[in-house]
Amino acid sequence: MSTLIFGISFLAFVAFLYFIYLSRDKKKLKRSVNKGIKTLIKNSIRLFSIFLIIGILKEFLSKESVGNFLLNFQGFKGILSGFVGAVMMGPPASGYPIGKYLLENGASYSLVSSFLASWVMLGIIAVSLEFKYLGIKFAVVRNIFTVLSIIVISLVIGVIL
Amino acid sequence: MKNIRSFFNEYPLETIIIIVAIVLMILNPNKTLFGLGYALKTYLNLLPIIVSVAFLMGFISEFLNKKTVSKLVGKETGIKGVMIGAIFGTFMVGPSFLFYPLFKELREKGAGVNVIATTIGAWSIKLQWLPFAIPFLGLKFTLLFDALILIFAILSGFVVSWFVKR
Repeated sequence: MSTLIFGISFLAFVAFLYFIYLSRDKKKLKRSVNKGIKTLIKNSIRLFSIFLIIGILKEFLSKESVGNFLLNFQGFKGILSGFVGAVMMGPPASGYPIGKYLLENGASYSLVSSFLASWVMLGIIAVSLEFKYLGIKFAVVRNIFTVLSIIVISLVIGVIL
Repeated sequence: MKNIRSFFNEYPLETIIIIVAIVLMILNPNKTLFGLGYALKTYLNLLPIIVSVAFLMGFISEFLNKKTVSKLVGKETGIKGVMIGAIFGTFMVGPSFLFYPLFKELREKGAGVNVIATTIGAWSIKLQWLPFAIPFLGLKFTLLFDALILIFAILSGFVVSWFVKR
């Protein structure tokens, strides 16, 4: 719901930008609308097929099966196994119940944080699109740093909590 | 035939997904229909953002010039640009990958890689989901987790700009 509200306000903001610049330059305006339509079609094809594969895969990964798999690991191995969070599909909010399930069943805070951090910071779909749009070098450097950060974040949380 | 081939060249991954979905539709129509329903629901829920991003890209490419962008969020703006990215990323809603084409456009217009990296990093904070995270994971864990992600996001801006020239 909050996503929809945000989306509509964002849309209003973009419409406002177009409205302000409407009188300035008709030619430029036409070109930007054309580019907008082209981008919309392109992005829609890309995103819809991603959502489709997420929807299908979601059917195969249940909360309990992921949770029970992760409960096999402890200590530093637990932090590493948390990286399966990266292949989880769907909005990260659906990871919170899994995190709770893990904590209730005796998993460490480090494992839960590496699992959730991988989910939000390393989503496999986001990473593959990052390579496509922002370049190999950018994506490689940023994601290696992300992996290191997830390990550090999990260790710090394990020490503090 | 030529159209199909050019579609495949432009969208190789997407074509494979569609073929997989069709095969699964025959093998297990129930589950696949459920997946299709999920895809439609997600797409419609995000449609306002998807439309906004597309038209914002059109706007940026025509109306924003390099000088303005690099003055505001260029690599040379250093910590100021990185902080703008951190704030922007923290408050944004929706999956970050919806905005990657926009980042590409902004980068071509002179936005710094440090600012973009920090924005993507801070996107993981998901401020709007804080009310959902706290009851499940506790206040202490949630706040600590998000504070650490924010620190990481700011650092990642500097690390990326160290390795990636532009």
